[in-house]
Amino acid sequence: MKRILFIITLLALCTTGIHAATLEEKVVEHTMKNGMKLLLVERHTSPTVSAWIRFRVGSVDERSDERGIAHLLEHMLFKGTTTLGTRDYSAEKPLLDKIEEVALALTAEKVQRAKADPAKIASLEKQLATLEAEASKLVIKDEFFELYSKNGGTGYNAFTSRDGTTYLISLPSNKLELWAAIESDRLQNAVLREFYTERSVVMEERRRSYDADPESKLWETFLASSFLAHPYGQPTIGWMSDIENLTRSKAEHFFHSYYAPNNAVVAIVGDIDTRSTIALVERYFGTIKPGKNLPPVTAVEPKQSGERRIELIAEAEPTVMIGFHKPAIATPDDYVFDVISMILGSGRTSRFYKKLVIEKQIASDIGAFDAPGSRYPNLFVVSADPRAPHTVKEVEDAVQEELELLKTTPVAQRDLQRILNQIEYEEARRMGTNGGLARNLTEYEATTGSWRYMTEHRGRIASVTPADIQRVAAIYFTRENRSVGFITKKEGNK
Amino acid sequence: MKRLLLSLILLLSLLVSVAAAGEALSNPRTMKFPELSFQIPQAERVVLDCGMPVYLLRDTELPIINMTAMVRVGSVYEPAAKSGLSGIAGVVMRSGGAGGVTAEAMDDELEFMASGVESGIGIDMGTVSLTSLKKNFSRTLQIFSHVLLSPDFNEKRLEIARRQTVESLRRQNDDPKEIADREISRAIYAGHPLADIPTFASVGAISRQDLVDFHRRFYRLDNMILSVSGDFDRTELLKELNSTFIAGKSRSALTLPEIPQPKQLFRSVLLYGKKDINQSVIRMGHLGLNKNNPDIYAVRLLDYILGGSFTSRLTMEIRTNRGLAYNVGSHFDIGRRFTGSFVAETETKAESTIKAINLMKSIIAGVTKEPVSDAELNAAREYMINSFMFSFTTPASIVSQRARLEYYGYPDGYLERYRDNIAKVTKADILEAARKHLKPDAFKLVVIGDAAKFDQPLATLGAVRELDLRLDIPKP
Repeated sequence: MKRILFIITLLALCTTGIHAATLEEKVVEHTMKNGMKLLLVERHTSPTVSAWIRFRVGSVDERSDERGIAHLLEHMLFKGTTTLGTRDYSAEKPLLDKIEEVALALTAEKVQRAKADPAKIASLEKQLATLEAEASKLVIKDEFFELYSKNGGTGYNAFTSRDGTTYLISLPSNKLELWAAIESDRLQNAVLREFYTERSVVMEERRRSYDADPESKLWETFLASSFLAHPYGQPTIGWMSDIENLTRSKAEHFFHSYYAPNNAVVAIVGDIDTRSTIALVERYFGTIKPGKNLPPVTAVEPKQSGERRIELIAEAEPTVMIGFHKPAIATPDDYVFDVISMILGSGRTSRFYKKLVIEKQIASDIGAFDAPGSRYPNLFVVSADPRAPHTVKEVEDAVQEELELLKTTPVAQRDLQRILNQIEYEEARRMGTNGGLARNLTEYEATTGSWRYMTEHRGRIASVTPADIQRVAAIYFTRENRSVGFITKKEGNK
Repeated sequence: MKRLLLSLILLLSLLVSVAAAGEALSNPRTMKFPELSFQIPQAERVVLDCGMPVYLLRDTELPIINMTAMVRVGSVYEPAAKSGLSGIAGVVMRSGGAGGVTAEAMDDELEFMASGVESGIGIDMGTVSLTSLKKNFSRTLQIFSHVLLSPDFNEKRLEIARRQTVESLRRQNDDPKEIADREISRAIYAGHPLADIPTFASVGAISRQDLVDFHRRFYRLDNMILSVSGDFDRTELLKELNSTFIAGKSRSALTLPEIPQPKQLFRSVLLYGKKDINQSVIRMGHLGLNKNNPDIYAVRLLDYILGGSFTSRLTMEIRTNRGLAYNVGSHFDIGRRFTGSFVAETETKAESTIKAINLMKSIIAGVTKEPVSDAELNAAREYMINSFMFSFTTPASIVSQRARLEYYGYPDGYLERYRDNIAKVTKADILEAARKHLKPDAFKLVVIGDAAKFDQPLATLGAVRELDLRLDIPKP
């Protein structure tokens, strides 16, 4: 048995060798003097290019009085610079200063809640509206978008997570200089104009994505209850009262503290010439001064010592989420969790699907994944929809049975080989689109310290043994370490 | 126009744009770019011995082969009393085993090879798709052909699919956005098969024999188009396809039932669904047009200007200027077989519901009154022409696009003339198209939310019909 395992492992490693070399050969790595990391891949399938910039700063890096700022800042960075998005910045600047002065006074008054002076609020609100209307005349709305889009840019977007913030675009490959010019300008000269209107947009985003959607509301509550100390528990978008108290001053402070070339990872994938692309990026970004490195989050989640149960009563059918604390990405046990989540939750041959969906038919849908981030210790989550008349409890019990089985019975070699085969396919597939590859490169470079995590992953997975799985299951899948969130349908509702 | 296209036909690498360091940085507003060569990629069309057309595009970048069969079938062909039949048939073709291979064995074999075979049936098209590493292609192709042509429709797996569908019906009113999307579509297509949705009763009425008959009727070699892309050898592939898809004994000629077009009834309806939420979901619209309408190019530009981009009028006013919504926009879904639709959508806090609805209607009405500006037309035109190449970024999307054009009967040269047709559209064309295809007074309007918190009574907008969101759930 040992010998067979050895041979299989060796075979897997060999194939890893071949494919890893492909990606290994394709990626060109370049670190600029100011610390900005560039990852380039030439792909000449179509005359297009995707450019992704990821900043190693996300909502996990927020202080308690600025929750939501990483995400709101991401919105604000679409608003232009001292030269773009404005007709005359020198005329606009004094107005923006006055707007901030009034907005700070208004925010300070409103936070008094019941004790606030309604007359003062009304007067400040009126002043703010007048000033904003005045400033608005000087704004060229969404000029970044307009410039990219008339040049054929698509997928111009950004997203903020616990771990990072990413800005992305795809362009015809002859237009890459436009990206370099806009993005280097944005990094140095961003102007957070139209801040308070955008803050309202984010409140609507919160209502849409969390408040009015029962499953997402449960998800938010479940995560918040799973972390007492670590900021992974706080929602990236912020609680409503957090958003209400965000100001342009706070956003500017956050921006100037963390948006620096040494905190940025750039991936450019597509129809490019590597050498000249490096020269282009150097020309536009090379003169930007480095900033402080991001300090690590100091909070450490205390060891959980008892099950936490979180109920949400909602106008929706039951759903259940079960979470267990686990280590950060690229730690030895994290690779074992990768294997476990594939065995339990990936595809029609996964144990959860076979047992709960096909055999017992107590769930209509079930999956397993890591959340809500990966840089710091996070959660292994199982999420399922019970199939009526079966209950949350029945699903929980069946899930627990599968977790117990991992502790007592070694996983079969064939199951491990299937996982390696799937990773082999995935290694090929993920190189098939510019955007997908740029996404992976920036993500893993930022969260694990090197994009080579991708090329080494299959080898790491191949070295996970059935005994590792039993050990990890026994350590982490305990009642003490478990949180359960579920929806109970509101009674007597229409 | 010629000039516009010429400036796009081009060639040159980035070498020109990227000169030595120290060169002055360019202004994004006036930046000039090197020319770029872009020819629309072609796929080869071959007819197999059995008569089936196949589109081929070889690309060896990755050791992967992708394949899709498009089948002339769809939910429009199912009887209303068995609504859900085609959806379940599409699922069970794959999940119920095929060619005598049990579901369990098929899942195991495919996933061990990291191959995928999936099947589904939509409104007017069925697809079976394959993805595979090159080395596992032959075996995966066999399974693909079994799923496509000889599914077993295992009774137990049918029962699981039925129960899954019932569970999804139970959950259909959980997310207010899902309710609104469904109800606006039902209101627009009322009286047409496109408005039929599965019910507990219709799903309960489906038998295994229904699936067998439905499949037998539509899944035949003279009723499908294949597309293949990736790392294959052309000669070997064609040999394999010809030995896999063999015309059987002659069956009766294929006849597809005629499905009428939906009726153009421009009559307003106001539907309200009560949910205890702090944000209202708003959808409004009516029937649109189909691909054979000469106005489609003007409508595509109109779409971008009105509600299809981040700088569109709806987004600019409701989101950027007023902060009333995160998501707002509109879209002409240009119909292929059937008349399409126009739908505008947003979600806004309960306290600004009526305000947002009125704003949207007046912004939409605005494009029917005055011509759009030169700047708006230019921005839309440049985007559509310059981003055209993004429709051709993967070999799989190139071949399946070609197959789809044939499937829906687009005219020859549709893609080749697309940019010219966009470039020709004038402001007057857009105004005329807007007047013809937008009737804000005749919108069907759906609002999901808590009317007690609205800024004004919903009835100020017209007679309200309340949706019954209670589900008549049968005892399991």
